[in-house]
Amino acid sequence: MNRTKNGSDEMELSRIDGILASEEPLMPSSGFLESVMERVREEAAAPPPIPFPWKRAIPAVLLTAGIFGWAAFELVRLGLPAAGSLAAAGSASLAMPHFSAAAMQPLEPAGWVALALGTSLLSWLLARRLAGRSGLL
Amino acid sequence: MNAAISAAEDLADVSRVLAGDVAAFEGIVRRWQGPLVNMAWRYSRDRGRAEELAQEAFLRAWRGLGQWRRESSFSTWLFALAANVFRSELRRFPTVTVPLEEAPEPSGPPTQHRTLSKELNRGAVRRAVLALPRRYREPVVLFYFHEMDLAAAARTMGLPEGTMKARLSRARALLRRRFPQLEAEHAEMEFGALNPGKEA
Repeated sequence: MNRTKNGSDEMELSRIDGILASEEPLMPSSGFLESVMERVREEAAAPPPIPFPWKRAIPAVLLTAGIFGWAAFELVRLGLPAAGSLAAAGSASLAMPHFSAAAMQPLEPAGWVALALGTSLLSWLLARRLAGRSGLL
Repeated sequence: MNAAISAAEDLADVSRVLAGDVAAFEGIVRRWQGPLVNMAWRYSRDRGRAEELAQEAFLRAWRGLGQWRRESSFSTWLFALAANVFRSELRRFPTVTVPLEEAPEPSGPPTQHRTLSKELNRGAVRRAVLALPRRYREPVVLFYFHEMDLAAAARTMGLPEGTMKARLSRARALLRRRFPQLEAEHAEMEFGALNPGKEA
């Protein structure tokens, strides 16, 4: 009885093995080699990919991380007293937590909106300037 | 197949390519186009797709030639890379297969058209391999591609030989269950060969 290579003695050859092992080799088409080499030459001739500008991006990444961190800190700072007062009142109400009175002043939200708009404008200007320097704009 | 291909030639061509000689890659493609197209054919059972897959594998080899550490043979590295490419490409755009239970049964005992019937049976079994569950399909494909060299197939898949053997056994059991008729024929033939004059 036939057996496979590498001493795998348990693997006796069956009819199915015979069919799968005896396959006629497929010849690559005549243009295959040329078509592969054409693509290789194209790749070789292509300019190297532009590396990501980490040097320029790092300040923006740090700024974004700082803003998010600060926002998270502020949320926790304003939210914790509100949650504490809810717990103290023993209220099971599903209403939104009341932020501190300072945050509810009518002028306060306008300040936040202005700050957000200013940050967006700054980041847009910065992005435009960086992209302009690299010749993209 | 592989033994005939010179490792020294591969090494020389790789060194030339890494030194900037693009044309030297042609030698690599010339030597390995047959094996890679055949390997892709066993993965896809579609001639056009097999050449596309093999081409993609050569391109990845071109890009990653510097990553060949020379600890293993060039063929081992190339086959492992090609297997990865075929696996990921076929996952993105699978070939049309049917579940193993729905794979066509080979025709009955051959009568008038013995050769045709044999060919149909072979085609059915080969197509059924592609209908195996994924974890069993690739061991079968690579085991028979490597001319039943379990160690080579395991190296290509990056699996321990024991795992490869276990998956292969399971796959073969599934195929045997799917094609009991072929196994019965085989048993009869063997019985006849061992006991001439007796009936099975």
